[in-house]
Amino acid sequence: MKRILMVLFWMVLVIPGAFFGISAAAYWVAYFFEGLFRGGAGVGNILVLVLAAVMIVATLLTLAERKWSAAMQDRVGPNRAHIEAGPTFIQKMRLGGLLHIPADVLKMLWKEDFMPAGARSNRFLFNLAPMLAFAPVFVLFCVVPAGPMITLGEQARKIALIVSNPDFGLLYVFAIASLAVYGTSLAGWSSNNKFALLGGVRASSQMISYEVALGLGLVGMMMTFSTVRLFDMTEAQTQYLWKFTDGDFGLPAWGIFLQPVGFLLFFAAAFAETKRAPFDVPEGESEIIGYFVEYSGMRFGLFMISEFVEVVVLAAICTAIFFGGWHLPFGEKALYAELFTQGKVFYGHQWIWGAFLGSIFWLKVLALCWVQLLIRWTFPRFRYDQIQTLGWKMLLPAGLVNVFVTGALVLWDPSLRWLAVLGIAVLVAIVALATLGTGGEEAAHAHDGHGGHGADAHGHDAHASVPAHVSGAIAPSTH
Amino acid sequence: MSVPDVLFYIFAVCLVGAAGMVVASRNPINAAMSLVAAFFFLAGIYVLLWAHTIAVLQVLVYAGAVMVLFLFVIMLLSLSERGPRSPITVGRILGGAAALGLGVVICIVVLKLDGSAATLTGAQAMRFGTIARMGELIYGTYLFPFEAVSLLLLAAIVGAVVVAKSRI
Repeated sequence: MKRILMVLFWMVLVIPGAFFGISAAAYWVAYFFEGLFRGGAGVGNILVLVLAAVMIVATLLTLAERKWSAAMQDRVGPNRAHIEAGPTFIQKMRLGGLLHIPADVLKMLWKEDFMPAGARSNRFLFNLAPMLAFAPVFVLFCVVPAGPMITLGEQARKIALIVSNPDFGLLYVFAIASLAVYGTSLAGWSSNNKFALLGGVRASSQMISYEVALGLGLVGMMMTFSTVRLFDMTEAQTQYLWKFTDGDFGLPAWGIFLQPVGFLLFFAAAFAETKRAPFDVPEGESEIIGYFVEYSGMRFGLFMISEFVEVVVLAAICTAIFFGGWHLPFGEKALYAELFTQGKVFYGHQWIWGAFLGSIFWLKVLALCWVQLLIRWTFPRFRYDQIQTLGWKMLLPAGLVNVFVTGALVLWDPSLRWLAVLGIAVLVAIVALATLGTGGEEAAHAHDGHGGHGADAHGHDAHASVPAHVSGAIAPSTH
Repeated sequence: MSVPDVLFYIFAVCLVGAAGMVVASRNPINAAMSLVAAFFFLAGIYVLLWAHTIAVLQVLVYAGAVMVLFLFVIMLLSLSERGPRSPITVGRILGGAAALGLGVVICIVVLKLDGSAATLTGAQAMRFGTIARMGELIYGTYLFPFEAVSLLLLAAIVGAVVVAKSRI
């Protein structure tokens, strides 16, 4: 009972409260920098959103991944790290395993920075590779909107929680995401190690293959909202497809209802780009260890944290495009009118509204991160030919069909309702197929131990071709 | 000098330097990575020219896809780390002379251009390189050439598959 209350306390108060604070801080820092020079809000957002928020979430995810994998495998998970000094209550303090994060960081910083003799001839590329792996995923968040445009402070500056809102928004995401492959392939090559080279070659072939599906998956969304700016896409999702009452209540025009196929394509392809199980042949701990086999200490740490940053950024992009960004599903205008208009409680305190919506955005991001952890610890590693078959023979044709169908329906009915009807039908079909399909499988393999393959409904229906006898057999270890 | 001017010279010097490395480097991987860097600096110059879409596509297509394939092939073939020091032949001298001549011709043409005509200002410049403008041009004014080019590319892809896999 105490444990359940603790979890509820964290979920309802601490986590939303923390994100509320981060969003509020982001608004005021951006306001401060905007006062220093024009366009300074972007610098403020880099500092708070990219450097602080994304990095904190990614760092906490390293612990969350271990905790969640432990929960799925009926273990306790990391809880041993503690401070070996001071009074007894400090020595007994475990903080739910939080101390493992500083322990990991200290370990990485103090480890010998080893460079194999074979890599000496390519010293420059060997040192460059971790940075090339980390930098692209890190700057991806720059075009992701994390909060609405509000009017702030005495000077009435208009501030939004987005670093930059360029004309080519999504193209920037594709362009920068496609650069991440240099880090992995160069790491594999410059290590001068056969296993590392194998990992690097596997990584580059996989990432090239899935780049096509990654782009095609979002073409439907671009046509639906006729924009490539993530900020405008988020704003377009405030409209209702159908209103159920006279008030502010109805089915929102969220991307997931309009483009479920696009979501599946993008999510699966982006998952492959993160190189996490089931797409982790480039690492393949049990066979080749991976492209980073020769890296130690913080250089390896860069590869590892870039993976988690990628998870956060993927979740954030999906939230902005498919799950309404920072918007509530319904009732947002009514709530605003109730609390923030002339004469109401919070009138004049727009930052509270902005920070509230910002925390909504981060909660959605957390939920999608959790889905990714769920998938990563549910599915076994795909074989190499399965990965290529999935990419080229399933996702690519599905993406092409999706583009044509979406284009026809958007032309036919610009109010998007027919597109939504098709989308909801597809969603229902996917959920039905996934539940019926895995239901039988699970009865036959009761020893699996994973209660319900719930992740199927979230983006991996196409992976049903994995041979049943390998499912649940492999539980990849953490690094 | 304004900020764009300074940026232009930084990008230009780095671009020429990276391009020189592509030719001079004897390690194929270093040459390929220098080419990636060159594409980046070129994209920077495109941005300064208000051609934002071209700049992003430059990074997406050339740096992100084409050069990855280059790198992939170099790694798979595991070319020797130090390429042979090739002797100076008549062909190389002729090639160098042709490149030099082309450079001189381009310099003369650029010097004779009337610079004022090409300058965009204000709202016109803001709109010049946007995706909307590109879309209007490609799918409106130049629809037929665009489709013809895509047919040509399709033929090239089919040809590549036929050549590579003769027994399908």
